[in-house]
Amino acid sequence: MLAFSVAQPLVLGISNGAAIGLVAIGLVLIYKSSRVFNFVAGEFVTLGAFGTYVGDKVLKLPYPLAIALGLLFGLMAGLVTERLVIRPLANRPRVTILVATAALASLLIPVEIIIGGAKFFGARPIVGGLGFKVPVADVYMSWQQLIIVCTLAAAGVGLAWFFGRTDLGLAVLATSQEPTASRLVGIRLNRITLLTWGLAGLLGAVAGVLLAPVTSQFQAGYGTTTVLIAAFTAAVVGGMTSVPGAFVGGLLVGLVQAFAQINISSKTLPGANSVATLVMLLAVLLVRPTGLLGKEA
Amino acid sequence: MAIDLEPAIAGDVFPEEHPRVAPTALGWLGRAAFVVVVGAVSLYYVLHFEPAHSDVLATGVIVGIGALSLNVLVGYSGQISLGHQAFIGIGAFTSAYVISQSHQSFYAGLAAGAVVGIAQAVLLGLVALRVRGLYFALVTLVWGFVGENSIFRLESFTGGGAGQDAPRPGGFTTDRAYLGLCAIVLAVILLIDWRLVATKAGRAMQALRESPQVAANYGVNVRAYTLLAFAVAGFYAGVAGALFGSRRLNVVAEDFTFAQIALPYLIVAIVGGLRRRGGIVVFALLFVLAGDWLPELAKNLGVTYIQERAGLFIQAFTGVLAVLTLIFQPDGLGTVTAPIGRWLKGEPFRRGGGEGAEGVDVRP
Repeated sequence: MLAFSVAQPLVLGISNGAAIGLVAIGLVLIYKSSRVFNFVAGEFVTLGAFGTYVGDKVLKLPYPLAIALGLLFGLMAGLVTERLVIRPLANRPRVTILVATAALASLLIPVEIIIGGAKFFGARPIVGGLGFKVPVADVYMSWQQLIIVCTLAAAGVGLAWFFGRTDLGLAVLATSQEPTASRLVGIRLNRITLLTWGLAGLLGAVAGVLLAPVTSQFQAGYGTTTVLIAAFTAAVVGGMTSVPGAFVGGLLVGLVQAFAQINISSKTLPGANSVATLVMLLAVLLVRPTGLLGKEA
Repeated sequence: MAIDLEPAIAGDVFPEEHPRVAPTALGWLGRAAFVVVVGAVSLYYVLHFEPAHSDVLATGVIVGIGALSLNVLVGYSGQISLGHQAFIGIGAFTSAYVISQSHQSFYAGLAAGAVVGIAQAVLLGLVALRVRGLYFALVTLVWGFVGENSIFRLESFTGGGAGQDAPRPGGFTTDRAYLGLCAIVLAVILLIDWRLVATKAGRAMQALRESPQVAANYGVNVRAYTLLAFAVAGFYAGVAGALFGSRRLNVVAEDFTFAQIALPYLIVAIVGGLRRRGGIVVFALLFVLAGDWLPELAKNLGVTYIQERAGLFIQAFTGVLAVLTLIFQPDGLGTVTAPIGRWLKGEPFRRGGGEGAEGVDVRP
């Protein structure tokens, strides 16, 4: 039997880590295609959760349709960001683009509050109930948490197939490595960039749709405050250009944060998970800047 | 000339020189009249509206100092900070702690805020020597959140939810007098900033911004000047924090968040115009005044919907403005007035932005 102080963060860390991993994969895709750090990624998460809420509680759609609406919100956010902000700034310094995405986040958060109000929105799980008892340990894992973990696994397999077996996936990889040569062989760079931003928006929305029910509620700026930093850390830990790295990094960051949060009392050190994230980020950047699975710096 | 340059290349290498025409006496008179009229109108405006708006203007001055701090990093030395809520907040809490817990004067608090501000910035600077570019941006982002979630929640340091009292110094307790104090501090900061850029240190930082390798080859001490840039930025931020705290009279953790400090201050620095300290200060004042005007305007127009959400509309509008500025006017809105500045110095009136801020990137 595992001790509670180990088992509880293990369950929490793996399920949160899976959501972090989904967002981190989105960050990696965008970094691979545009060499940009995407600071709007957190709001893709919020929009996913928000879209589901609108579909479920406002339009009274059946739950699967509500989820589809949430995913549509995220997808559209990704596509619109690419078209309106990233493409006009394509050949500009990277810090300019970074600031532009941050400015976009600071634009979206108040707009969300103006539209939805400064309140907490409830989010209900796909499968309710207490969940199931984890073998060997005396803790419960909710069905929702299990669904997140499975979704991350499915996303991992799906992306591996996409990049390994399809022409389009190969085109994305080629564009990332050598844009000029890719253009010469007839790959449309704009389309590839648009595609990766859409995909990143979609992955962010998936994380939002699944994570909001675990925290049982969300508010404007939810993704930026809860997931964004962890996802960036995960992407860097994994190597910033490696999709499997983001996958592993997400789980690692989730676990480290959960252990810090549950085992260090807020009396001793408030915000222990932020500190743990900083320590982890610095350790990776100073000791192994290419990350765990990164091939390029 | 020993080396013959093709005319086409020469045109690229040496920008076309405009013949310098000295203005006539009438020209100088016109320039002087312009200065007098603009000065008189702004002075009248400030004195007329200022009594009711002292507190707002003081906020604007403080935002200006905070944005100047970012300007030192992003504009002068090619670094970046996305964690300025920690920079400013640490200054504010240190100053408040020294004033209300150690029972020292406001000025001791201000000095302590500045010193601790420098110390934390130099620590980050040490990281910047090893971690570059976007990765360093990420470190500063996480540092900001460590401040927000961890340091500012340490009850013994920050007084927990009630916050830490930060009284104003004697003689500056009214809003109006406090605005005067903030303006004096801003003037000192602007003086330091001007001297910093105009001297060897400024040229060294500029060289670092363009290329650390080339700078090192020319004998610029890369480590020392990188750390200097961080120290100066930390100094401005610590001072801004101390002023921020005493303006509110009480320092609470809720004021120092990513969305309220780090993002808006960065946007002010960029929209105002990197390396244009005048533009930054003016835009900081406009930014804060707009936040004050919009609710009044909406109230007068009877639009309660906007009146209640004025802060949000301002924030959203600033976000839009920032994106548009980055796309269409990358040197910042401060460059719009550049032709006037040149004209006042005796050059003929010519459109164009002058030295461009673009081409600045975080170090790869």
